Amino acid sequence: MAEPKLRVLMVSDFFFPNFGGVENHIYYLSQCLLNLGHKVVVMTHAYGNRTGVRYMTGGLKVYYVPWRPFTMQNTFPTVYGTLPIVRTILKRERITVVHGHQAFSTLCHEALMHARTMGYRVVFTDHSLYGFADVGSIHMNKVLQFTLADIDQAICVSHTSKENTVLRSGLAPGKVFMIPNAVDTAMFKPADVRPSSDDVITIVVISRLVYRKGADLLVEVIPEVCRLYPNVRFVVGGDGPKHVRLEEMREKHSLQDRVEMLGAVPHSRVRSVLVTGHIFLNSSLTEAFCIAILEAASCGLLTVSTRVGGVLPDDMVVLAEPDPDDMVRAIEKAISILPSINPEEMHNRMKKLYSWQDVAKRTEIVYDRALKCSNRNLLERLSRFLSCGAWAGKVFCMVMIIDYLLWRLLQLLQPDDDIEEAPDINFCN
Amino acid sequence: MDNNLAGDSPPPPPPPPPPPPPRPKWRKVAYGGMQIGYDDNYTDETFLEEMVMNANVVRRDLLKVMKDSISISQYLCIVALVVLVWFHTLQSSLDETSLLLLDLSLLALGFLVLLLTEEKMLSLRLLLRYVINITFFTTGLYVLAPVYQTLTRSISSDSIWAVTVSLLLLHLFLHDYSGSTIRAPGALKSPSLTSCISVNASVVASVFVASRLPSRGHVFAVMLFSLQVFLFAPLVAYCIKKFSFGLHLGFSFALMGLTMYSVYALHRLFFVLFLVLVVVVNVVCPYWLIRMQEYKFEINGPWDEAKLCFDITD
Repeated sequence: MAEPKLRVLMVSDFFFPNFGGVENHIYYLSQCLLNLGHKVVVMTHAYGNRTGVRYMTGGLKVYYVPWRPFTMQNTFPTVYGTLPIVRTILKRERITVVHGHQAFSTLCHEALMHARTMGYRVVFTDHSLYGFADVGSIHMNKVLQFTLADIDQAICVSHTSKENTVLRSGLAPGKVFMIPNAVDTAMFKPADVRPSSDDVITIVVISRLVYRKGADLLVEVIPEVCRLYPNVRFVVGGDGPKHVRLEEMREKHSLQDRVEMLGAVPHSRVRSVLVTGHIFLNSSLTEAFCIAILEAASCGLLTVSTRVGGVLPDDMVVLAEPDPDDMVRAIEKAISILPSINPEEMHNRMKKLYSWQDVAKRTEIVYDRALKCSNRNLLERLSRFLSCGAWAGKVFCMVMIIDYLLWRLLQLLQPDDDIEEAPDINFCN
Repeated sequence: MDNNLAGDSPPPPPPPPPPPPPRPKWRKVAYGGMQIGYDDNYTDETFLEEMVMNANVVRRDLLKVMKDSISISQYLCIVALVVLVWFHTLQSSLDETSLLLLDLSLLALGFLVLLLTEEKMLSLRLLLRYVINITFFTTGLYVLAPVYQTLTRSISSDSIWAVTVSLLLLHLFLHDYSGSTIRAPGALKSPSLTSCISVNASVVASVFVASRLPSRGHVFAVMLFSLQVFLFAPLVAYCIKKFSFGLHLGFSFALMGLTMYSVYALHRLFFVLFLVLVVVVNVVCPYWLIRMQEYKFEINGPWDEAKLCFDITD
């Protein structure tokens, strides 16, 4: 087999068997990079009994490191505890680039720190938006400043996310690449026979029912729309703390036959729920990158959404302010332009607008840029940390120095040559 | 083909290549893949143009902050006066009857202030309710006085003074100086956790001090005095402040004068310390706050969570 061009290690706390945006992103990106001929290895923490090495589709090797998560799927942050295992994995797989995902993942920050100490190239992708004002955000931003002070390149999933990351970490905007997520258009196809929109128009909502995703807006909007348009029905999928409020709303306005609550919808069934509808409603109050809208557009639904400008062309989405009256107006406009929508044509356009292969090619360019960055020695790197803050800069320098010394100690105890390199197994079909 | 002799003009230069087509304008969108002619890390001048800085910051005026800080020093004086009364009682300079007289006069004064300042709120029924509550309260204290007297007999005095001082400090730190500990019949917002803790701390401190006194009468009088002041002084101060700011200023300065005089009579060092404290609270802290405002950096932008414009009624 030809020698792979790049050998990438993806690190994050969030990976399968957990389902979510970050997990999907890592999986699809890894699969497309494998198709391009690179070698990809994923490192994450153990999920229940799932520890050790697993192989996924296409030969994707996943290391479920035996650390249990302690809160919100994050491993316990022992700053130097992951150094031996990260060093072993990097040496065994002969990695050249380490790619960390998600600012909230402690494993990612630790692995990136160790990779930098050992001289590897490091890329970071940020998937979420954070504020600046509350205590949790302030600490998270400081940690992010530490990690990004010494990084080669960074990737953000939307322009808003890029601005947010640059402000939080003080990174130069030229170092941050904007590569959006994409959608698996092969899985999200429109229905073979489109449900007729003459007598009943179905509006689909699939989201977690929490405050952040705008469930309270739904409670205000649904009765009003049902009152204005007798031929509209709603399908609400997803579960969460605001489920109770939606049920109360149904009872209060006697909408049991017009609003169907499906409960939690597993990811494999999302497409079958989406194709029963004509319009997709997204009411989230803040979103770094909303994949749900892409999935809906790929299934041929017209989208009505808040605050996600720039994700879809203007003729595929109707934007509204997070205000009930404005959302009702947007739904009215969507209903009026619904007859001119052709799901198949929308699906074909989505195939050209978003694809994971394109994301993988653009990520490859970022890796190449990262590999071209010069490798600095410890003393030059320490000067980058000093600018993080009056006290924080010195603390960060101490942390890096101790990390460096521990690495040298490990090299004494277990020399590099003693670590056996894993062979590359060819999974071509 | 003739041979070119010297003198012939060189062949005409080839025509310049056509200029490359201008790259399309960069759009701030996520769809459509990589934009032709631009790298993914291209940043144009619209970067961060929607960021808003310091939108909600309150611009403060030094004089207004100093005027507002008078409420804090007024409360400090009230607490200092209470501690003075405790001190004099413990040293037996104040006897039972004078304490009881003090209690009654304070109660009457408080009622007077409430009557005069709340023009429309109080009615005869409300007044009657207040009188009944006060009677229950006083009777309860009188009945419980023997219990308080023997409460801390087995604890050494040093522990009592240490605990009292720490509780009083806790009370001062956690006290709600914006005046919402008492729900006056003008509907203030409900008390927070810290204001409840501070009221409890002051009550427990009064119980500890009262338990060191020689006779039941003393205990009852001191308990009544302390509880009266700690529980009702915020309400009275709030009513005065609401009624007229000039009256509030006059009341505060009178209190400060009385406290300074009493502390001076007690001990010089305490007087100096108290003076320094009042100056720091009234002058140094407002100036410091205004100086620190320059460093305020509040960032808002499209990444913030949207605020719902309606109330969520559960």
